[in-house]
Amino acid sequence: MRVQLFGTCLVDSFFPEVGEATLKLFQRFGVTAVFPRGQTCCGQPAFNAGYADDARTAAAHFLSVFDGDAPIVTPSGSCAAMVKHRYPDLFQTDPVMHAKAERAAGRIYELSQFLVHALRAHESGLAGKGTITYHSSCHLARDLGVRDEPLILLRSMKGVRFVPMPDATRCCGFGGTFMAKLPEISCALAEEKADSIVATGADAVTGCDAGCLMNIGDAMKKRGNPVQVRHIAQVLAEGL
Amino acid sequence: MSDVQTSLAFRANATRALGDASLRSAMRQAADTFGTRRADAFAPVADLEALRDKASALRLQVLDRLQEYEEMFASRAAKAGATVHRAKDAAAAREIIAQILTDRGAKTVVKAKSMVSEEIHLNAYLEKAGMDVLETDLGEYIIQLVGETPSHIIVPAIHKNRQQVGKLFAEKLGVDYTEDPQMLTKIARRSIREKFLNADAGLSGANFAAAASGSLVLFTNEGNGRMVTTVPPLHIAILSLEKMIPSLADLPTFIRLLPRSATGQSITSYVSVITGTRKPGEATGAKELHIVLLDNGRTEILSGSCREILKCIRCGACMNVCPVYRTVGGHSYGWTYPGPMGIVLTTLLTGMAKSHPLVDASTLCGACVEVCPVRIPLVDLFLKLRERRVREGFSKPMEKRGMRVFGKAAASPSLFSAGQFLSRTFWPLVRAFGGKDVAGRLPRPANIPFHRRVP
Amino acid sequence: MTSPDLVRRFLANAGNSAAGTHVVSDVTGLRRILSEIVPGIDPVFCPESTDKEKAAAGALPCRAADYAGATATVEEVYGAIAETGSLVCASSGGRAVQAGLLPAHHVAIVSRERIFATLDDCFASFAEGPPTNITLVTGPSRTADIELTLAIGVHGPEKLDIIVF
Repeated sequence: MRVQLFGTCLVDSFFPEVGEATLKLFQRFGVTAVFPRGQTCCGQPAFNAGYADDARTAAAHFLSVFDGDAPIVTPSGSCAAMVKHRYPDLFQTDPVMHAKAERAAGRIYELSQFLVHALRAHESGLAGKGTITYHSSCHLARDLGVRDEPLILLRSMKGVRFVPMPDATRCCGFGGTFMAKLPEISCALAEEKADSIVATGADAVTGCDAGCLMNIGDAMKKRGNPVQVRHIAQVLAEGL
Repeated sequence: MSDVQTSLAFRANATRALGDASLRSAMRQAADTFGTRRADAFAPVADLEALRDKASALRLQVLDRLQEYEEMFASRAAKAGATVHRAKDAAAAREIIAQILTDRGAKTVVKAKSMVSEEIHLNAYLEKAGMDVLETDLGEYIIQLVGETPSHIIVPAIHKNRQQVGKLFAEKLGVDYTEDPQMLTKIARRSIREKFLNADAGLSGANFAAAASGSLVLFTNEGNGRMVTTVPPLHIAILSLEKMIPSLADLPTFIRLLPRSATGQSITSYVSVITGTRKPGEATGAKELHIVLLDNGRTEILSGSCREILKCIRCGACMNVCPVYRTVGGHSYGWTYPGPMGIVLTTLLTGMAKSHPLVDASTLCGACVEVCPVRIPLVDLFLKLRERRVREGFSKPMEKRGMRVFGKAAASPSLFSAGQFLSRTFWPLVRAFGGKDVAGRLPRPANIPFHRRVP
Repeated sequence: MTSPDLVRRFLANAGNSAAGTHVVSDVTGLRRILSEIVPGIDPVFCPESTDKEKAAAGALPCRAADYAGATATVEEVYGAIAETGSLVCASSGGRAVQAGLLPAHHVAIVSRERIFATLDDCFASFAEGPPTNITLVTGPSRTADIELTLAIGVHGPEKLDIIVF
């Protein structure tokens, strides 16, 4: 099987190890991952802040880079949701680009979704260690409907004890540009999320979005890192 | 009114609220309690999604033919004995109401909770005209005694704890201090009952207006809505245009959704349907009923791209699940309507110039969309308003330039890489000048970005 | 004819809303219940305009001429709704709906055959034109405005009893 990997700008710039873990997982399941050169960002920062034109510029570039028919897989729920739900809207008035956007929307998958549905990774005996809890990212759960897949994967892992987090679906306060525009509220929400995480007694918290994990990681750093923060790709690839 | 907060100062308001521990714990308690109660109340409702579809379709149908329903309502209500007034804006509505009261020499007015009356700042206007206006909903009564505005559209005094209410009653009503909610409720009952019986007029809002019969519908728990609308000889109801539903046959759908969404009750203690005035041979109803239909910007919203906000039935469910609202409270939003629906309504009704920071007051998490009983696409509306803000020139020039550069960089891999290289190389500078709140919370960029690690 | 199941559903839902519920099948039963739930010394308002109200009056030794000064109102209401456990009070026929609002104790007699299955059935019964006032009453008056703590009996009755007859 061939897939196109969209690394995302956050993973590219800040968390390359998440991209590497994703590649390891693809290798483990015999998937040929193509990394289309020239990929940058899906355009969410501009789109969410109301700069549709600038978001369109980014989206058009994405669509030219991610050409073809292979599934596009990305270790980010919100970037996948952007391509799936917002790209077609961005090109409402341009039939050619709209058709391209619709095609991309039809073949983009978030990593955990792809691992469960296309690769049945939860039946493959992945192994890890420690007690792990999970933060359910907003766009992943609400826009893509990916609620159970990460849990299925974590629960299937040998050597891993999964503990649910209270209010796992409550926003961590990242919100893309929200973090920059209303930092006081963003921090307060991250603090509350950190409280929920610490209360589980887990060694590590995981999730499917680098943005949320970055925000949670900052809150954890402020309290001396009582709990590790790791992307689900890293957790799943640990024993590989 | 003390300490008026504006929507423009949202960030400062919110930051102040974040430092108020008792407010935060009260807000959190309310949001969590209502969130849980809502979920429990809907659990036995098998066809919830179909019910939401139906309610949404009904509300859209009303918006599509609003003028028709409004005219039907006005003519049927008039036929049933009501006098219907139309107010284009807040000032017109205030004048109409004050005139009705003045003409009849009415001095004492008892009032049931009405967000629309808050929207037009009616109380202050009537008080200035020498009238004695008493809020009779317990929560509203409490905040009226303190001189504040509601912080929650369903539980207006949620930001006051029992000790604060106990002290307030002891001070203002001259009763012995108690902090037992049941006792405090009894005190309020006694104090307000007398006023009910002697009031010259009752003032209420309405949750719905059934066009086919010209009926007003009020959902209440305390019974004050019933008192206000039936005990005084004169009843004035003020409602905004979009409260229409086609007919009473459509009311069951909203009875099934509104109380469950609001407080988690399967129905409120009272649902009153008022059709016109007391007729000959009848023993119930006000002798005179005036209905003020308020536009105050609704017609303009109706013709725009955010019209779906007018589907709102004011249940407050979006607020209770909103991570921002539950953290900063209703007053931070600076106007009548807080939370997710408030962001949209405030921006549209007061104008971008007076409210643009509010459109940032969402993380776009979508929790509100998940619970809205009439399926208002709130996140889509936030995004539309953010776009409008940029178009109307209310975004910061720095941000605008930044986004232009971002767009260009996103479309040019080499420029993008250059940006990564520069921010990595000059990271200490980025941290120093990029705002400690923002850059200070980002990890240091990786030395070798992922795209250069891929084989 | 109202099925026993409908009566059961109505009573269960009304009971959940903190109303007292009673079922009687004749005048003797009605009077016995009334003497149990309405203290004899309290002034009670009873409009005596229906047969069941007239029957009830016999069990009420202390009567108030007007609901405004009464401690309790005993009245037959328009109907009830099984779906929600609500009473349907209506102003049709010259009824004073506020008689069930002002006194601290509201005792409502519901005729068995006037129990509607659903809210829709109830409003369908008003299809040709609603009276001036229809009020669905579900449980006693309540509030949770202080710290979300439930308090019963704000401006309306603090006690609601329903007698299905």
